[in-house]
Amino acid sequence: MSDLAIATRQLTKTYSRTEVVNNIDLRVEKGSVYGLVGRNGAGKTTLLKMLLGLVRPTAGSLNVLGMDYLHERLAILRRTAYVSESKALFDTMTGEDLVRFNRSYFSTWSDDAVRKYVKSLQVPMNRVFRNMSSGDKTKLCAVLALAQGADLIILDEPFQGLDPAARDELHRILIEDYIGGNCTILTSSHQLNELEQIADWIGIIDAGHLLLEGRLDDIKGNFRRIVASGTDLSHFRNQEVVGATPFEGLWQFVVRKDADEVAQQLRSNGAVVLEILSMSLQEIFLACIRKEELCTSPSAGETPASVSSRS
Amino acid sequence: MLTHVNPSSGVPLYLQIESQFKYAIASGGLKLGDALPSVRKLAAELRINPNTVARAYQDLEREGIIRTVPGGGTYVADSTPGLLKSEKLRRLRPSTLQLAVEGIQLRLEPEEIITLLKEELSKLVGE
Repeated sequence: MSDLAIATRQLTKTYSRTEVVNNIDLRVEKGSVYGLVGRNGAGKTTLLKMLLGLVRPTAGSLNVLGMDYLHERLAILRRTAYVSESKALFDTMTGEDLVRFNRSYFSTWSDDAVRKYVKSLQVPMNRVFRNMSSGDKTKLCAVLALAQGADLIILDEPFQGLDPAARDELHRILIEDYIGGNCTILTSSHQLNELEQIADWIGIIDAGHLLLEGRLDDIKGNFRRIVASGTDLSHFRNQEVVGATPFEGLWQFVVRKDADEVAQQLRSNGAVVLEILSMSLQEIFLACIRKEELCTSPSAGETPASVSSRS
Repeated sequence: MLTHVNPSSGVPLYLQIESQFKYAIASGGLKLGDALPSVRKLAAELRINPNTVARAYQDLEREGIIRTVPGGGTYVADSTPGLLKSEKLRRLRPSTLQLAVEGIQLRLEPEEIITLLKEELSKLVGE
């Protein structure tokens, strides 16, 4: 019915009067890789748990794989794989036990996938879960989630505790077997440089608010750091400016789009524009969370999401 | 051949891929009729999203730089026929303008900018 794997509207979760997730409209396209970025405690895990029905929303609605979570929760769970932040499974079961246990729940389960990934990620399947290293626990959680044959894979810090070789291998598996087909992946991660490799879409969340949502290519194509000098620019205002910082006699402006126009405006204010620089996701993320009041202020019906051109 | 992209660069990955292919073709590393790796193979090699590689290939195909044979792979195309000289110049104008602007901002003399451009040209195509 829709081309969205996940759509939430004004989704909100309040714990003892604190809004952990605040009016979030999340839209995840089918077949995309959506990277959710935010500080510790920003609300990422609560948001992901609501999508799985593990946490009950205080307000708002959500639709996952075209289904309503209240009435079709089991059908959603059958088609959704999840690697939790805690990476907790039954402690006394071995990897083999856990495969047998999980397999029984999913008609789309693939033993071939288990064999392939256990080998390439080198998971010690005979060990009980409790005695595995944290990296091996993460690997096993990933293998179980991938083998499920799900349409939607939700990953909460999937690279946590993995050594560089294992991270690289998990990347390869995701790219070769899951990304770019019908499978949709929603992942939170603090490894922004790794998200930059695989994500189509990025959502930046802070204090429960979705500050920015857009295609990564569009975000990178639009955000710029403008370095200017020559005059006092402390009163310079433009709706696209996300942050302004004086820096050793220079001024740095981060703009979310229209950098050339802002630069022209700076020049007509008497400034010399020295550089217009593109920005990494890390720089964009920091600029957004440090100036959230600027980044979220909607102007003339526009939200930060307008950096994206949704088709 | 394509060996490296930098995901943390501010330049979107699909643009990095496009410019690397253009460079490889301009410098003779890839020749007319040479086969390009499949989208999925190149994505796996570079550890990036296949959609990103597909977007780069689509852009290159639209520009006539590569062509895809249905079910038969992707090849370096002859991008010159059919294009009028005026169209070729029109395509080059934006990057020329950028070069000029940056040169002026760095307070370089026009001759110095032109010398630099000539040096890079001769590196690519020889004297």
